[in-house]
Amino acid sequence: MNYLSNSEKAFKLLNGIVCLYKPAGVSLKGCRHSLLLKLCQDLNSMDVRPPENRVIISGDTTKSLEVKLEPSYADNVLVVGPRYQSKDLKCIWTTHLGMRVSGVCVMGLNKGTKMVRHLQENYPLRTYHLHGQLGIMTKNMHIDGQVVEKGRFDFVKRENIDKLMSTIQASNQKKMFHLAKVDTQTQMAYDLATKGLIRPTSSNEPLIYGIKCISLELPNFVIEVNVINEYESYLLSLVHEIGLKLRCSATCTALRCIRYSSFNINQALLMKHWNLQYVLDNIKECNSSYDKINHLSAFVAEQSQLETNQNMTSV
Amino acid sequence: MSNMLLSQLLRLFNKTNCSVCSKRYSDVKVKSKDVDPFMVPYSNSPKDQQRLYVWGMAEHGALGDLKIRSRERNIQFIYRPVRMRFAYSHKIMDLACGYGFTVYAVDSNQYKLFGCGLNTDSQIGYHDPRKGYPLGLILATVPIQLPLEQLNTKVKAVAAGRAHTLVLTNTDDVYALGSNCYGQCGRPIIENEDYTKLRNVNSITLDDGIAKIICGQDHSLFITKTGKVYSCGWGADGQTGLGHYNNEFHPTVIEGDIKGQTIVKVVSSADCVLALNDKGEVFGWGNSEYGQLLLNDDKYQVNIPRNLPLKKSIGKIIDIGTTGSACIVLNDEGVVYVWGFGILGKGPEINRSREPTPIPPILFGRNQYNTETKVKSVSCSLFHMAAITTEGNLYTWGKNKWGQLGLGHTKDQYFPLQVSVGASVKKVSCGVDHMAALCKPYQ
Repeated sequence: MNYLSNSEKAFKLLNGIVCLYKPAGVSLKGCRHSLLLKLCQDLNSMDVRPPENRVIISGDTTKSLEVKLEPSYADNVLVVGPRYQSKDLKCIWTTHLGMRVSGVCVMGLNKGTKMVRHLQENYPLRTYHLHGQLGIMTKNMHIDGQVVEKGRFDFVKRENIDKLMSTIQASNQKKMFHLAKVDTQTQMAYDLATKGLIRPTSSNEPLIYGIKCISLELPNFVIEVNVINEYESYLLSLVHEIGLKLRCSATCTALRCIRYSSFNINQALLMKHWNLQYVLDNIKECNSSYDKINHLSAFVAEQSQLETNQNMTSV
Repeated sequence: MSNMLLSQLLRLFNKTNCSVCSKRYSDVKVKSKDVDPFMVPYSNSPKDQQRLYVWGMAEHGALGDLKIRSRERNIQFIYRPVRMRFAYSHKIMDLACGYGFTVYAVDSNQYKLFGCGLNTDSQIGYHDPRKGYPLGLILATVPIQLPLEQLNTKVKAVAAGRAHTLVLTNTDDVYALGSNCYGQCGRPIIENEDYTKLRNVNSITLDDGIAKIICGQDHSLFITKTGKVYSCGWGADGQTGLGHYNNEFHPTVIEGDIKGQTIVKVVSSADCVLALNDKGEVFGWGNSEYGQLLLNDDKYQVNIPRNLPLKKSIGKIIDIGTTGSACIVLNDEGVVYVWGFGILGKGPEINRSREPTPIPPILFGRNQYNTETKVKSVSCSLFHMAAITTEGNLYTWGKNKWGQLGLGHTKDQYFPLQVSVGASVKKVSCGVDHMAALCKPYQ
């Protein structure tokens, strides 16, 4: 990576998708704020445009005029503020991640906002790792809440959890066809299935495509879930419900998004790396992977299928 | 003082408890210190873990002792996979689902073969709680006696047909149990033989040594270590491939197009047989009523192996399967091709195909997020098909009258749909009306 010294060139490169690792306990707004703040700081520390001079033309109009260049206060950094400011950069996120959720957070910068909108319209799949603890129940279903119940958990075995996971997955598979409003026996269901994942017609009903337990070391467990249309409290209540179904109580200790569409956690930038150089590198990488999924036939097919879905619902 | 008394009492109680437990293996001397072999895990290592899931028709007991009081509750079928505790205490090497019964090959020093389900032809051994009255229906997984010469002999593989069972040991002997009405057990056919009270097990050996065993409906096939195929049993549709339509009781080498080829896999669920050689070419013989053998002429029965004219574009075949009326092959790119008649897995409108047509890989979970997902193996029964992907997911489709697809209902499924097993599937065996899957927990 060649180091850019010209801030204007660097600013022009800030177009595209950036994949960040959002820490837990920070709101998404706060993340955006600190990202933009750091970017602006870095841009301002480079060679910025010098203040423009003011042209003063004075003298008697009947005679030859005197033209003078004077430093202008209207363009002085000390008067108007730094050259690059947070509001100069457009930045939106794809899906809202709650305060307690950490992990992959995909944001669009400047022209990348369009790409992010496009990603969003395709209803991408998210993968989460839900860390939980058995034998404890809190008021807000997260470990930071007030404890309301403690209990035994030593009877829980791996088989019990796996059985529950398969039940949840099977019921969601049924729900998937129900939400897409097709009967599995028909040709329409087959046509839908050959076009990719069967997605819900509305965007407010969470749907699990796959769920499995990847680790169980009592009392802690980790669940990997592929989900669409989820929100923070849904994931929290999922862990809570798993605890109840296991005949004990469970509370969530961490929620981590490990994949968003094809952006995975390996690409995500840690907060300490949220500076211009790393972000530019990341944009390059993410844009190429965006192009890759954009050209996939499945992606296009899914989009057209969504359109037909919308047509059907409108009729 | 009271503490000491209590501990002594507890110890006494434990001892008596154990002797009660060990009664299940009544003819084996179990030391009173040992516990019930059904209650202890076969291995304590966390890496050596396996699980057995079964589903389908439960009335005839082929699902084993489900511990859910199926008889009291009158459960006819179970349309979701349920875990069997049997695999927790016994290391299963191979499993086979026949027509209403299931056989398990177990790696142990005591009993090496277990079975449950229909026993009308003694296909899972002779079991008589009352002397002279053998059971025709066994609702629990019971050990099957084999006349093994050495104690350390191990059972390598099992296969199950309509009413007979084949067992392959590591000394290359094959033991055949059950009905021999067409000579499928490899011994001379006896007129009006009573198979319900059959006690003896027929042993079959071949000169080259047997590597694999396959059961059709009423015929048996053996692959030798050199890649030759031997067959015996019912031949009315030419499924023995011996050049005639008669029953054959003596295992005879099959010639025709497979002569000189090294056959690695043979499959047959009814009367059509497919064979695969080491170069990825497919051969077939037997019934071709629904165009399973891709013949141009109107011949419905083929009694000699023929090389199937598959297109070059399909590529190298790595796995094969046949249902009663359709065929399925899997190439090395993980694409599944089907042809024949019935539910092919390509929607309700396509129920007949003369040419091998691919099932879209997207139905097996290959999408933009999982571009690496491939089908690893396929298996078939009379009315349904199943496929396992590299991620250990099981997909099934076909007729579902007894819930044998494990999808949670008894409606037919016209395209592959994932079965929620709850573990990574390693091996699956399809019976006519039930299925069994050997799995490993997710890591």
